[in-house]
Amino acid sequence: MNTPFTTLPVTRREFLRWGGRGVGLLAFSRFAPSFLVESALAATQAPEKDRSILVLVQLAGGNDGLNTVIPYEDANYYRLRPTLGIPKAQVVPVTDTLGFNPGCAAMASLFKEGRLGIVQNVGYPNPNHSHFRSTEIWETASDSNASLATGWVGRYLDNACAGQPASSTDDPVAIHSTGETPQSFAAASAHPTFGLGLGAAAGNQRQQRENLALLRQLSQQDHHDENPNASFLKATLMDALVTEQKVQTVLGAYKPGSTYPASPFANSLRSVAALIASGLPTRVYFVQLGGFDNHQNQLNTHINNLRTLSEALAAFQLDLAAKKLDGQVLTMTFSEFGRRPSENASRGTDHGTAAPLFVMGSKLKGTLFGTSPVLANLPKNQDITYSTDFRQIYATVLDRWLNSPADKILGQAYPSLGFI
Amino acid sequence: MSATPSNPAPETVAQLPFDLKPGEAWEPLPDAEFDAPAARHLLRRAGWTAKPPEVDRLLKDGLAASLDRLFPSKAPPFPAPRSLATLEAKTAGLQAQLVANRAGGAGVAAASSAAAANPQEIQQRQIRNQINVATNQAEQDLTVHWLEFAGRPENAVTEKWTLFLSDIFVVSQEKVKNPALILAHQDLLRTGGFGSAPTLAKAVSRSPAMVMYLDLQQSLRTAPNENFARELFELFLLGEGNYTEQDIKESARAFTGYRQNGGVFRFAPGQHDPTPKTIFGRTGSFAGDDVIDLAYAQPAAGRYMAHKLARFYLTDDPLPKEQLAALGDWWRTTANYDLRRVAQRFFGSRLFFDPAFRGAYIKSPVQYLLGLVEDLNLDVAPIPRRTIAPLRLMDQIPFRPPNVRGWVGGRNWINSGTLAARRQAVETLFAPLIEANLNADEIAALDEARAEGRTHFNFTPDRLAELADLPPDTAANWLIDALLPMPVDAAYHASVRDFLAEDLPANNAPGARRGGANLAAAGPDQRRLQRLRNTIITLLQSPEYQLC
Repeated sequence: MNTPFTTLPVTRREFLRWGGRGVGLLAFSRFAPSFLVESALAATQAPEKDRSILVLVQLAGGNDGLNTVIPYEDANYYRLRPTLGIPKAQVVPVTDTLGFNPGCAAMASLFKEGRLGIVQNVGYPNPNHSHFRSTEIWETASDSNASLATGWVGRYLDNACAGQPASSTDDPVAIHSTGETPQSFAAASAHPTFGLGLGAAAGNQRQQRENLALLRQLSQQDHHDENPNASFLKATLMDALVTEQKVQTVLGAYKPGSTYPASPFANSLRSVAALIASGLPTRVYFVQLGGFDNHQNQLNTHINNLRTLSEALAAFQLDLAAKKLDGQVLTMTFSEFGRRPSENASRGTDHGTAAPLFVMGSKLKGTLFGTSPVLANLPKNQDITYSTDFRQIYATVLDRWLNSPADKILGQAYPSLGFI
Repeated sequence: MSATPSNPAPETVAQLPFDLKPGEAWEPLPDAEFDAPAARHLLRRAGWTAKPPEVDRLLKDGLAASLDRLFPSKAPPFPAPRSLATLEAKTAGLQAQLVANRAGGAGVAAASSAAAANPQEIQQRQIRNQINVATNQAEQDLTVHWLEFAGRPENAVTEKWTLFLSDIFVVSQEKVKNPALILAHQDLLRTGGFGSAPTLAKAVSRSPAMVMYLDLQQSLRTAPNENFARELFELFLLGEGNYTEQDIKESARAFTGYRQNGGVFRFAPGQHDPTPKTIFGRTGSFAGDDVIDLAYAQPAAGRYMAHKLARFYLTDDPLPKEQLAALGDWWRTTANYDLRRVAQRFFGSRLFFDPAFRGAYIKSPVQYLLGLVEDLNLDVAPIPRRTIAPLRLMDQIPFRPPNVRGWVGGRNWINSGTLAARRQAVETLFAPLIEANLNADEIAALDEARAEGRTHFNFTPDRLAELADLPPDTAANWLIDALLPMPVDAAYHASVRDFLAEDLPANNAPGARRGGANLAAAGPDQRRLQRLRNTIITLLQSPEYQLC
């Protein structure tokens, strides 16, 4: 697994042969992949050994922060949550006042070992209760009343890759497993990004491989009197398939250093670990766990969903540690909003505002940041007010982890937090 | 053009893939040449895709009658989504409250500073926030409903025409921030889209969305704003090089006094400059409508529309000037700038059907998505995540063109990211719709659509029933013909056929198999259906399917 890609010139060789047949690939010099133009450079390209990597975990639907990190000594919590409140005896305590949801036992252990941090009560001014819009605000790091075309990761990539025009055959700088490319990745310039979910519709892994093979085969057929747009599309697709082939090979050969639970979410983190271990120069990974929009009968659904999250995160961290990659990786969760402190009449919760988020890694400096939400005197059906702006966390990650100018990427300066 | 077969200049040949003379290029295609490939070409270019039954219908009706039907004198009306009707009622009260508070002394402090805000400012922010939320939701609703409407086969051609016109007379929600006005603008293009072009342009100049978008609202008699006059000439009617800076300055004065108030056009005589202007060499006390008539008196007006038609519907490479002039001049002198007539002339012409153009144009994201939905016999899902989000990743958000020039299109649609987004869009349509993963808003929208009779939002295997009985060779032929816009070589066909045949055991030969496509039946049948399904997925993701 040290040099997984050296065994994979097949597609490229086929590709060259195909181009050499005079289909017209080289006529599109501006689309010619870099390995054709600068083969020496491509051959000497070495993965960076000490790069820092960010893994973003989106909890889609709006995670109920109050039932995730529970203020188990606060009578107000039990007042607002007459049926949904987790009894003190079931809470996994980690401080004198705070404890984890019973589904988060593995995360509580990580917390106690100093490898998982809680940033409390994170939100933004003028909170929006729409899933679509609030997700957009988080992903673009915009003000609530402004709309930005690019995502915060995309702007980071714009900044980090400035002056190095991306070639579509370059290894991806950001990878997601969310089906759709996250809006976070939207950038002003084109960067090679990659979606792990692509191909899944074909069925199991064998069927996915077969479909990919057919697509590659079809893309290599030329037509009588082929028009230039067809040649252009084939060249672009072949570039993408080169990356896909690489990724499939890496994932197929990976031997994890821990046992992952059987869930699609855990599997996507396993894939991320495999790609990190393969030495890809990718700096940002984005995975997603859905099912947090619990408007009714929330209690057990939520506990089970948090267990899925917690056990997968723990397996991922253990795997990275076994591979001695844990020092290179920072994992961070986010969700579009928390939920209303007072439960609704259907034993669920409605869309709310601020919530805690988690950071995970072996380089954390501390485990508890920010201040708890104030529940005292909170009237029924009222939202809590955030105390840490989510962009402070982004600023911390950009400045201290990814070594990028946060104020430039976020449009203004936000006070850093000390978690790394 | 002067190029003849005996004297080929390479660059001219590259630009001129056909050998039609300007005089004959726009003449109707002879009936004898209107065959199935021609009918498919017409349907894929004029609409979103070419469904086999629709191809048959065109061949039965003939070209002239088909054009008459596809391009009617009036496009079917688009029923406005309910949320737009209530948007104004919802936001009007909030706007009034904002104004009242401001008069009452609430500060206009910096909106971004979270701390140190006084209670009045917090309240103002909350109100603005509510307006934003209602506006965003109404825009999403408009977009989703329009996609659903445009995606119905019977509306494909007229709605693509509306999209074409809105790619000329551009406004954007990005700046207008009022979906009701954006819809009103689109409606004006829809209802006037097959009538007189000058009449339509005059309506556009009075469109409240346009008055806002190109700053007519800010244009003062003492300081005319030139934005609208410039784009009117450069991008809407004439094209660069067909007017002078002086023409723009003078025309800007003619459009002073154009205002909108609460979404209604108003002419403010006090702000209008009635003094004489000299435009295109003619002097008079011209008003806005006169400027539009003066522009349409220029031959460039006809030719510019010919150029826009060719660029949007036919080819990325500009057609030779002579060809554009031939169509444009015919439209100006013979067809009196009737939009329906120019559409029918263009789409019925020998040049339009020239083999050089077949299967050579890159589909826009909207066409890709709606074409997929139509090809798979599906309904557009009323869920932004499955409609607007994929379009955004493919780089085209309806009602939000990147700038006043509209979408550039062509190869600009394609890069590794947008191509992956296109492939993902296909997979999303084939993946099951798991309601547990949807949020409550999405489920409500689904229920509403189902109540209206739209139920098929993703591809289900029962749709393969008819194909499942075909021998692989025939199925490959059928799929390639139905989905791809060009004939393919034998090797390509063989790849598809072999993929289809691979899992077919000898004892389950076509014809010998049990009837129907019951996926519950385990074994070879299911594998065969899986192969069929995966062949379709791959063909829809292929480079060829990106073309039309």
